[in-house]
Amino acid sequence: MAYKIDDVFSALADQNRRQILMMLADKELTVNSISEKFKFSRPAVSKHLKVLLKTNLVNSRQEGRERYYNINVEPLNEVRNWLKFYDKFWDEKLNALKNYLEK
Amino acid sequence: MVEEKPIVKEITVNAPVSKVWKAITNKDEMKKWYFDLKEFKPEIGFEFRFPGGPDKENQYLHICEITEVIANKKLTYSWRYDGYPGKSFVTFELFDEGESTRVKLTHTDIETFGTENPHFAKENFEAGWEAIIRTSLKNYFENK
Repeated sequence: MAYKIDDVFSALADQNRRQILMMLADKELTVNSISEKFKFSRPAVSKHLKVLLKTNLVNSRQEGRERYYNINVEPLNEVRNWLKFYDKFWDEKLNALKNYLEK
Repeated sequence: MVEEKPIVKEITVNAPVSKVWKAITNKDEMKKWYFDLKEFKPEIGFEFRFPGGPDKENQYLHICEITEVIANKKLTYSWRYDGYPGKSFVTFELFDEGESTRVKLTHTDIETFGTENPHFAKENFEAGWEAIIRTSLKNYFENK
């Protein structure tokens, strides 16, 4: 894996980057189209995209003169997997504790 | 902050606080509902190890070290996996409500576990990415 889970979390900790991800969830976009919708400068958008690319949350592809960015949710699944695993685990354990003490 | 978002669970048990404390700190009681440990002492610095995992074929050595003890009130230990990166912390807090006890479980720093950790590989999470982004991600990370 090229990314670490804590990198994914820190990439997602920024609200602007989350907004970019939400936008890309609808459809793939170029830097220009993101900065238009976003009212951010191109360099600012590029900087956020760089962080997202590094964590694999975003992929890009070249088409003609344009580069399109699209979302990759695999790192999110892994974050969710962890939380989901422990969510269920502790529900089960606490219920077992309750059943044991109340039997 | 997203990084600090822990798992928090609360449950009310119809038993006095001393009984609940015993159930979470006495190895003979712990094995009835939690894990079967060779030894357990509610003392700061005490380390305990036990195998555990999502199923019988996938068991991993857990290594825990107690970091805080307030008798009948609070117990915290670190929780990590032998041979894998990351260290999380599990806290049990007990609130005396007379006949019953409110148990609050907090599990923090889960995100420090690496992606190569075994539980990841075994959890075959299948959900359309649309659902994840449109609902879960939004709810989860925007923090309501």
